[in-house]
Amino acid sequence: MPYLVAAYVVIWLIIFVFILTMNRRLSALDDELTALEEALTRQETR
Amino acid sequence: MMSRRILTVLNLAAAAAMVGAIYMALVQAPAAINLTETDRWAQRIIYFHVPTAWLSMLAFFVTFVAAILYLVRSQPRWDMLARCSAELGVAFTIAATASGSIWAKPAWNTWWTWDPRLTTYTIVLLLYIAYFMLRGAIEEPERRARFASVYSIFAFVSVPITFMSIRWWNTIHPVILDPNEDFGLGPGMTVAFVFCILAFTLLYIALLANRLRLEYTIERVAALRARLLT
Repeated sequence: MPYLVAAYVVIWLIIFVFILTMNRRLSALDDELTALEEALTRQETR
Repeated sequence: MMSRRILTVLNLAAAAAMVGAIYMALVQAPAAINLTETDRWAQRIIYFHVPTAWLSMLAFFVTFVAAILYLVRSQPRWDMLARCSAELGVAFTIAATASGSIWAKPAWNTWWTWDPRLTTYTIVLLLYIAYFMLRGAIEEPERRARFASVYSIFAFVSVPITFMSIRWWNTIHPVILDPNEDFGLGPGMTVAFVFCILAFTLLYIALLANRLRLEYTIERVAALRARLLT
């Protein structure tokens, strides 16, 4: 039983870290994208 | 690029399939016979170990095809697909190696042995880590994509060798993916095993779609930043 738990934990941990890293990068980029779009709109209306 | 709604549906489907895979592997699949209590539990590792190994090979195959398409068409999206899939391939290779090592302890009484399968699989992992090192060493995007594509085509040779290693050489690693032998599993086990393979394949597609979306967002941010500065 401990081997089974260890193997499943390792696999899920790797998948979880991959998803978490991707999500964090994506949300940071989404924020930057919104800020850039707003800045561009301001620049164009000036 | 895939719409957000389709991506959400894909993510939910992959999550549901993975919950199903856990159920199939831990509850639905019958226990192996003629094994000790510890070995019976450890045997259930294969329902996740084999699909992760399969995914790593599928991911590297996608990288191989995308690299060829990049060299033929010179479209950056193929290089992007190759890079994203190789990233997933490396992640799943580490997952398969780690889970295999944990299974080996009760089955072979050792965490690691230089068996042909384990050795060739380690070479695959190192080759694809080197792929990212190569990418990191070249600054000019077009040159980087071209070099990486050529490299990944040669690196892929190691994947079929790894797959066939347990059939070509003397090894203690079991042959499970053999349809002639009913996957080397009992009847109830085959259903759970195939379900897990399909669930993990769906997970790969979902992860790849998300990773590609991230890459497109990076490109969009870079394009907007350039527009703002001009």
